[in-house]
Amino acid sequence: MEANGNRVMVIFAHPVPESFSSALHEGVVSTLTGQGWHVDDCDLYAENFQPILTTEERRGYHDQDTNQSPVQTYVDRLHAANALVFVFPVWNFGYPAILKGFFDRVFLPGVSFKLVDGHVRPALTHIQKVSVVTTYGGTRLRAIMCADPPRRLMTRPVRYVLGGARMKYLALYDMNRATHEKRASFLQRVTREMERF
Amino acid sequence: MKALIVFCHPKPGSFNHAVLKTVSSELQEAGAEYRVADLYADGFTPILTRQEWECYEDTKENTCAIGEQVDNVLWCDTLIFVYPTWWFGPPAMLKGWLDRVLVPGVAFSMPTEDNPTFAKGLTHIKRIGLFTTCGASWLLTRYIGAPGKRTILRGVRALCHPHVKTAFAAHYKMDFSTPQSRAGHLARVQAKMRRLIGKPARERQSITQEQTA
Repeated sequence: MEANGNRVMVIFAHPVPESFSSALHEGVVSTLTGQGWHVDDCDLYAENFQPILTTEERRGYHDQDTNQSPVQTYVDRLHAANALVFVFPVWNFGYPAILKGFFDRVFLPGVSFKLVDGHVRPALTHIQKVSVVTTYGGTRLRAIMCADPPRRLMTRPVRYVLGGARMKYLALYDMNRATHEKRASFLQRVTREMERF
Repeated sequence: MKALIVFCHPKPGSFNHAVLKTVSSELQEAGAEYRVADLYADGFTPILTRQEWECYEDTKENTCAIGEQVDNVLWCDTLIFVYPTWWFGPPAMLKGWLDRVLVPGVAFSMPTEDNPTFAKGLTHIKRIGLFTTCGASWLLTRYIGAPGKRTILRGVRALCHPHVKTAFAAHYKMDFSTPQSRAGHLARVQAKMRRLIGKPARERQSITQEQTA
């Protein structure tokens, strides 16, 4: 499948439909649909995505002819999209394992990057824009003191394999103490960004 | 000394297994008690479920599904991670271990209205070791900001004893490794382990040996 028109893949990772992350996810999907985007809603928990890279997959990791076959549908969906939105909570200063496994298993050699004369080059260059919508339990200061691993992962290597696509990183910190107003205003901000997406 | 090694690699006979062997033989030699949580071999499930999320803050319920892993964490005073770095971080398997095992009541207490910080829960942990392999170069890893290393050596470390000792060694550019570079890395792991374990354990061991002799 080739990317055509305005197709966005929303990659979402949270187990509970009543959670604030789910509210953000719904906000993102409905706003983008309203804006005329064709949304491919990839809810990793709902789709029962398996995040464990298996022994066999590890053995065949670098074989670009066969390494995609265990996750072919996800690779096809990535190829069909020309924009991405990630929606997830930050747990223990990283992605939820189910999302980490999506990178481990789907962002393979030949899919997300290719080797040209021994150098790594981006391979998802058809993706034109990306938004990251996330929530942290800790404060902004705490995230900075830990060098903010999820932000760095998104804004550096992920953005690199997407060919330097335009990226917005939208984060709500200190979730555990966030008031209703704070959450509502973050949801509004996310909706506004999606209207402009 | 009681050490928990959290080990994560899918392929038997991998270089990470050699690192594990080096780490465990150093512990053995120092007379330390140690346990290995081999996540792939034990069939650990890394996905935090809806049910676990719903009782996440209930410290009586939140460890029901993984009591054994939690017991290991509460038992040890030394926590050692051996894993390959994939996508600049720990494999999903190990990330899921952090998600599901280091929960409120075990690793920290939730912040409250008055206190915005997470209270430390792992103050019994006085040593952390992190031994990994990276496909990327040292320079690229530094540029990205070494997210995997920092998730553990800053994020997890912040929950441990205030004077926690740390050890870190990585074999970079793993895809271009040679027998020499791998042997060099194992020697580095050994040296870092010796520094992490420290003299007291060895001396204590030799004292007990003398006593028993």
